[in-house]
Amino acid sequence: MRLAQWTWLPIICVPVPAIAVPAYAATYLTVEQAQQTIFPGQKLTAANITLTSEQAREIERRSAVNVRKKEIRLWKVNGGGFFIVDEVLGKHEFITYAVGLNADGTVKQIEIMTYRESYGYEVRNADWRAQFVGKNAAAPLKLDRDIKNISGATLSCRHIADGVKRVLATYEVALK
Amino acid sequence: MRRARPLLGTLVEIGAAGENAAPAIDAAFDEIAAVHRLMSFHEAESDVSRLNRAPLATPLEVDPRTYEVLSWAQRMSALSGGAFDVTVGAKLVALGFLPAPNAEGPSGGDTSFRDVRLLPEHRVSLCSRVWIDLGGIAKGYAVDRAIEALKRNGVEDGVVNAGGDLRVFGAPQPIHLRHPEDPARLLFLGPLSDTAIASSSGCFIEQSEAGDQPDPLVDPRHKTALRWQQSVTVIASRCVVADALTKIVRIAPRRAARILPELGAEAIVIDRRGARRLAAAVGEAHADRMIGAET
Repeated sequence: MRLAQWTWLPIICVPVPAIAVPAYAATYLTVEQAQQTIFPGQKLTAANITLTSEQAREIERRSAVNVRKKEIRLWKVNGGGFFIVDEVLGKHEFITYAVGLNADGTVKQIEIMTYRESYGYEVRNADWRAQFVGKNAAAPLKLDRDIKNISGATLSCRHIADGVKRVLATYEVALK
Repeated sequence: MRRARPLLGTLVEIGAAGENAAPAIDAAFDEIAAVHRLMSFHEAESDVSRLNRAPLATPLEVDPRTYEVLSWAQRMSALSGGAFDVTVGAKLVALGFLPAPNAEGPSGGDTSFRDVRLLPEHRVSLCSRVWIDLGGIAKGYAVDRAIEALKRNGVEDGVVNAGGDLRVFGAPQPIHLRHPEDPARLLFLGPLSDTAIASSSGCFIEQSEAGDQPDPLVDPRHKTALRWQQSVTVIASRCVVADALTKIVRIAPRRAARILPELGAEAIVIDRRGARRLAAAVGEAHADRMIGAET
């Protein structure tokens, strides 16, 4: 029997209509939901702090990550531990995440709260925008509802890893 | 309900519907974290690191999950004639994609997946000094495990997306592919159900950003790193298969064209000429010409 031959065929007969999504966003958890996810059934008390310049410098020295904000969104957990909301800014992505620390300062759990991605450099470019005008008019995309499962995504957690390093250094310098 | 956590070097998103969704999602993340812990090249106590420093020709017992991934890897290696090979770790270290493990350096010479022997009772023996890296297959396996955990916990509709390796089950869900040259553009694959999809591309590497690297895909037959301007997406029933097949399509497209149907899989290539799918047809085989000469 002759083996079937294979070849590359166009994926569909008309050019594949790529939709333009200059911004993509996903909301996973509110602060309260993140608290209950990481510390279920525990009582948390807000205990925001503001780092001194010396503390910020020391955190940067220990973590090799910039301290962009001196205000730390912090909660103390009854029975030990901390809950911190932090954000990291990548080249295209903006991620808000929560870190739960055990009483000994080790990471208990990390949860992404919101993820936003935008390609502003393209969006600002009128020519770039123009090529998509009208394409989505018939069925405007509801970003949160329609765009959910993207394969080939650029999602990187390098910035989150950096952010967690900064959180751990913050614990050492300011919370311990 | 959707949740996301940083795992496997990427952002892993898990979605599930139903009353038991929250604990099911937790269980699914636990599965992924376990795969991460067992199969990380970086962590000294992972099965992979233990193997990479184990004495030669001495059977080492590994976790059944690690064994299962190695079994899949060996099967993909055999099917692809070595285009897929988990023993490329040393080359990835040499090229700077992976940090050198604290282990005796590789023997060099003609080592390959054939130097990894899978023995009964989840024991593994290495015939020559190779460094195993499961980076090309473990993510897909982790997605499969997470999907099983969701099902086991009563979820009827679910999705797991580990940085582009994704799998859905239950109600059809819209799936998009990112365009390799323009990440703001998405191609709609369709509402899909009970399907795994893995994408592999060298196109999102932004050289301008300090510290970024060219694409870490090594052709095991030549031990060279590939630079690539396309993305390959493979659709299969299991994500472990889809994940490994993306590498085979990229390295050995002609052979991939033969083994994709055997595995019930298909491939989609996207580049600046558009999107094409590797599909059955009568006539000449153009696979190699279309996506670059295969040697």
